[in-house]
Amino acid sequence: MAESAGDLTTDTAALLASEEHEVSIVGRSPWYLAWRRLPRNYGALLTLLVFLFIVICCSIAPVYARHIAHTGPNAIHADEQVRVSGKLTPVVSGGAVYNAKTNTFEVRRVHYLGPTWWHANGRFVLGADSLGRDVAVRLLYGGVNSLKIGIGSALICTLLAVLLALLAGSYGGWIDWIVSRFFDLIWAFPVFLLAIALGSALQINGFHHFGINIEPGSLWIPTLVISYVLIPYVGRPVRGQIMSLREKEFVEAAIGQGAHPLRIMFSELLPNVASTILVLFTLIIANNIITEAGLSFLGAGVRLPDPSWGNMIASGQDQIQSAPWLTLAPGIAIVLTVLALNVFGDGLRDALDPRSKVRLEH
Amino acid sequence: MTGKHRWNGLVAALAAAMAISLVAAVYGAAGTQLGKEPQSANSTLKIRAVIDTIDFLDPQQAYTGQAWWAMWNVYETLVTYKHVEGAAGYQVVPGLAASMPKISNHGKVYKFKLRKGLKYSNGQPVKASDFKWAIKLGFLATGQGVGFYTDIAGAKAYSEHPTASGNIPGIITSNGKRTITIKLVKPRGDFLTILALIFAAPVPGGTGPDIQNGSIPATGPYRFSSYDPNHGFVMVRNKYFKPTKYIPRGKPDEVDVSLVGDANAATQQVINGQADYSNGAIPPDRIADAKSKGRLILRQTANTYYFWMNTTVAPFNKLKVRQAVNYAIDRKRMQTLVWGGLGQATQNVLPPTYPSYRKLTLFSHNVTKAKSLISQAGASGAKVTVWTRNVSDAVSAAQYYTSVLNSIGLDASLNILPRTTYYTTIGNRATHAQTGWARWLEDYPHPLDWFDVLLNGNRITDTDNNNYAWYTNKTTNKEIEALKAAPVLTKAVNDKWAAVEKQIMQKAPWASWSNRVFPEFFNNSVPKKCIHIQRLYGIDLARLCK
Repeated sequence: MAESAGDLTTDTAALLASEEHEVSIVGRSPWYLAWRRLPRNYGALLTLLVFLFIVICCSIAPVYARHIAHTGPNAIHADEQVRVSGKLTPVVSGGAVYNAKTNTFEVRRVHYLGPTWWHANGRFVLGADSLGRDVAVRLLYGGVNSLKIGIGSALICTLLAVLLALLAGSYGGWIDWIVSRFFDLIWAFPVFLLAIALGSALQINGFHHFGINIEPGSLWIPTLVISYVLIPYVGRPVRGQIMSLREKEFVEAAIGQGAHPLRIMFSELLPNVASTILVLFTLIIANNIITEAGLSFLGAGVRLPDPSWGNMIASGQDQIQSAPWLTLAPGIAIVLTVLALNVFGDGLRDALDPRSKVRLEH
Repeated sequence: MTGKHRWNGLVAALAAAMAISLVAAVYGAAGTQLGKEPQSANSTLKIRAVIDTIDFLDPQQAYTGQAWWAMWNVYETLVTYKHVEGAAGYQVVPGLAASMPKISNHGKVYKFKLRKGLKYSNGQPVKASDFKWAIKLGFLATGQGVGFYTDIAGAKAYSEHPTASGNIPGIITSNGKRTITIKLVKPRGDFLTILALIFAAPVPGGTGPDIQNGSIPATGPYRFSSYDPNHGFVMVRNKYFKPTKYIPRGKPDEVDVSLVGDANAATQQVINGQADYSNGAIPPDRIADAKSKGRLILRQTANTYYFWMNTTVAPFNKLKVRQAVNYAIDRKRMQTLVWGGLGQATQNVLPPTYPSYRKLTLFSHNVTKAKSLISQAGASGAKVTVWTRNVSDAVSAAQYYTSVLNSIGLDASLNILPRTTYYTTIGNRATHAQTGWARWLEDYPHPLDWFDVLLNGNRITDTDNNNYAWYTNKTTNKEIEALKAAPVLTKAVNDKWAAVEKQIMQKAPWASWSNRVFPEFFNNSVPKKCIHIQRLYGIDLARLCK
């Protein structure tokens, strides 16, 4: 019986119950059910909106920088004065003064322009940093870099991890042994230490092997490093699910019909772990953004002067007392983004399979 | 009890109470005094210092300012520096030697005689041969200071195959006569200052080449009683030390030095009274705050911060590009941006504390002129990598520098290296590093420590090179070599050094930008009169008090 989508409830049990008196039961795909369940999770929806808002804000960084703030992310304005609420205010002022006659220094506090909150025609909305750069512009560009690395590394990591998990789970035997030991090998290192070691080493000379040329300072370095160190964190749970799926009747039936292993992998197994992969992908973006922030904070991620939320926090920590906005702004951005992605990821997991316990474990 | 009796009792009780109070007060006062006397006789003056890090507490191995600051009062050298403030602190005076050496053969032979009755802190006598062993030990342990002693006759050959039984024929010692004769292959005007380096501090013969953190017996006013690389070390008096005219007996009985990497935490410890002194680099943000909560002393040391430009690599192989960079940098502004104004803008190689210093003003800040020079040199859009090390002030300075290079038409990007590998990387010819951040802190107060090490083309090496600009100029090299032999820094010699400096800076291999001052922070319990700054080594521990 054909049925309009508006008549459906979002719960499978309810759906079945409402149709019990009918002759036939309409099968719904897990994706369809998830699509129906998700809008009922207001928390997940709200956080999705927050994340999309952050993405949109960051994506308009060049427009904001050019037409509103009239500066670039690395432009230094330490010498300039800005009219804030009609009053000319120096971007950086104060500091000790040397008296050549007495050969002494008069110690004075250094002042950095604080947030102008749109009272300076869009300039220095979130204040200036210790070199007189516009924090708001750097925050947006930093967000672009952080999101590029977070999402890019999540994509690469998930792709590689799923491929390896599919190979291991489908073929078993020595292929599974090799893949599992590979996961174990990476798993054996503390994520951060391994990432710092690789990031620092590659940032010095770049990567110039196997026909691949990555220059020092390239965003590809933190992206690939993070992808690599997190492979087992996605690969292991997916492999476990595939191993269990392999024993199911529909897979045995496909094998019995003589289906090609690749067909079994991509037509039978992959669609059945897709929801897990999607949830893991969402969660790992958040995880990767934190990892990138940590690496950049330690100087092994995005290279200065290019901004990222992590290196902005690192640069601002010396001024935490006199200019707290330098660390607060990127800190809040990281918290909001990661929180949004985590809550949305949980919501997505609940929508796709309420019984699932998929989570990212360290 | 009747009323009269009651009054009598009350009066008696009051009288007794007064008597007891009086006795107690008198006894208390006496007790305080009595208690004070023995405390004074036995009191120990303990200074608690906080520093960020040291490399080693081994005279032949250590090469950091903090380690030298501590060891200066532990390991004496044949000649040393006066424990005084100001320019007099640069004066070389007898240390373990009974007097200044006799110098003969046109500055190639130095004859010393050790003071009588010298003993290490373990009671063992100090022998003349221990000096020879110290120099040999430097080579055996491949210490960082061995390069200073290769002009001693036979030292170069010894350095190629150093063995414990090997000999440096240029050092002749007699334990019986307590004499040490040092022969050089060529005269060196800075040799006395080189002998005053802690690398040359005598250590007991047979001391092994492994790093001996604090375990080598002392010859100075203090000895190390404990050392924990993660926490710090303790210095106590050396009971065998005999003060001299130039080396005083130390005032503190004990100096506890803690290692705290975080300058904010170190500053806070001093403010809280958990420590008396910190030499951690207080962030610019906290300088004014620290000044109001403790005793802040700004110490002017001999240092120069500069950007080097590799004169052998494009675009810096063109003089106009190097000049353009010098015109473009706003040195005054940089002092505020990098360290909150605690530095003097400079265009010199030498710091202003040197008698050879003559202020240079070759390049006034002029961005338009800089752009024009870049354009004339045909270097517009040239790709440039700026190198720096991962330390906050170096990163800030290099970010500013990168922005300046971009503003004058170059296409600059930044390459930040870990601090441990930075200098070896840029000092390797194969790196072809174009330009970057560097600083030089004096090893000893002589222009040779600057020009010979940093800008003498004859001393360029393919690896571990200190001449990061790879600057060489036949005339300059020749003049530096000639000035090496000048035994005393007379006014005429100082003028010649100043001329060499001007000659070099006109070729602009560097863009020098700062002579930094370092904050030394004390708790208010340390009176100003107790703080003495030795120009070379910093806060004089031996003269600290509370």
